[in-house]
Amino acid sequence: MADLSKQGQGLPPFTVEVERVKIRELVNAIGDTNPLFLEKEAALSERYYDIPCPPTFITLAFQEFTGAYFKAFEALGVSLQNVLHGEETYEYLGEIYPGDLLTCHMVFKSIVEKQTKSGSMFLITLRTRVTNQRSEEVLKATSLIIERMA
Amino acid sequence: MAGYVDFDSLQVGDALPPVTKAPITKVQLVRYAGASGDFNPLHTDDRVAQASGMKGVIAQGILIMGFMGQAISGWVPLRDLKRFKVRFKGVTYPGDVITVKAVIKEKRDSKEGLLVQCDIFAEDQNGETKVSGEFNVMKTVG
Repeated sequence: MADLSKQGQGLPPFTVEVERVKIRELVNAIGDTNPLFLEKEAALSERYYDIPCPPTFITLAFQEFTGAYFKAFEALGVSLQNVLHGEETYEYLGEIYPGDLLTCHMVFKSIVEKQTKSGSMFLITLRTRVTNQRSEEVLKATSLIIERMA
Repeated sequence: MAGYVDFDSLQVGDALPPVTKAPITKVQLVRYAGASGDFNPLHTDDRVAQASGMKGVIAQGILIMGFMGQAISGWVPLRDLKRFKVRFKGVTYPGDVITVKAVIKEKRDSKEGLLVQCDIFAEDQNGETKVSGEFNVMKTVG
């Protein structure tokens, strides 16, 4: 059960390096054949410095490579079995390239308890500000996580 | 790159060209697990998924969001994409065929350029919406 008193707290900042091969793996898994994400020449011809990160790349920063979601759920006292991903929002503020070192600042922005016919649920909003090695803010990610209590 | 949508010639209510993906495969879910780091066995182990009441493994929601991201980056230059939001509505299984559709919801001139907001949907072969959302594009001048 989500700990309402943790609202406004967050995880210590964590970093993730943008690896070229991870971009390729993600794009191949999606089945995206856009040369922009596969060939540096195609990216250069569109005036990017290198292959840019595809729109959903940042999800890597929250999964097992950093364990951020797990750490957040643990800190919040949320049980993994009861968790659903409700919404995901990315705001793109700058370009992200291979070799960039991203620092993620995750805050437990809000925790709201709601009553439904099938029991109570908690709506947990995780907001992560992502900065690069030059301290430029390049992305904001917001995840709405639903914890269902049976 | 050729093929981007010309928002100047499109109006509110117009649809963008739909993008239909190949049927989802179990191997794809395994690849996506490795690529994204989402190793929840719900996506890779039928027995675990069935114990959770599913008929078998289900696709990662963010994989479907990835399909939508693929469609968007075919429609608009990536650097024009400013915001992308999705709501996960239903589960998707191997064999499902996802089509990504979008409709222009708002077009507005701002001081930075032309702002376009679109609604976006990922539907399966039965026309059921699995993921819905919206994205914002800023077409800068020059």
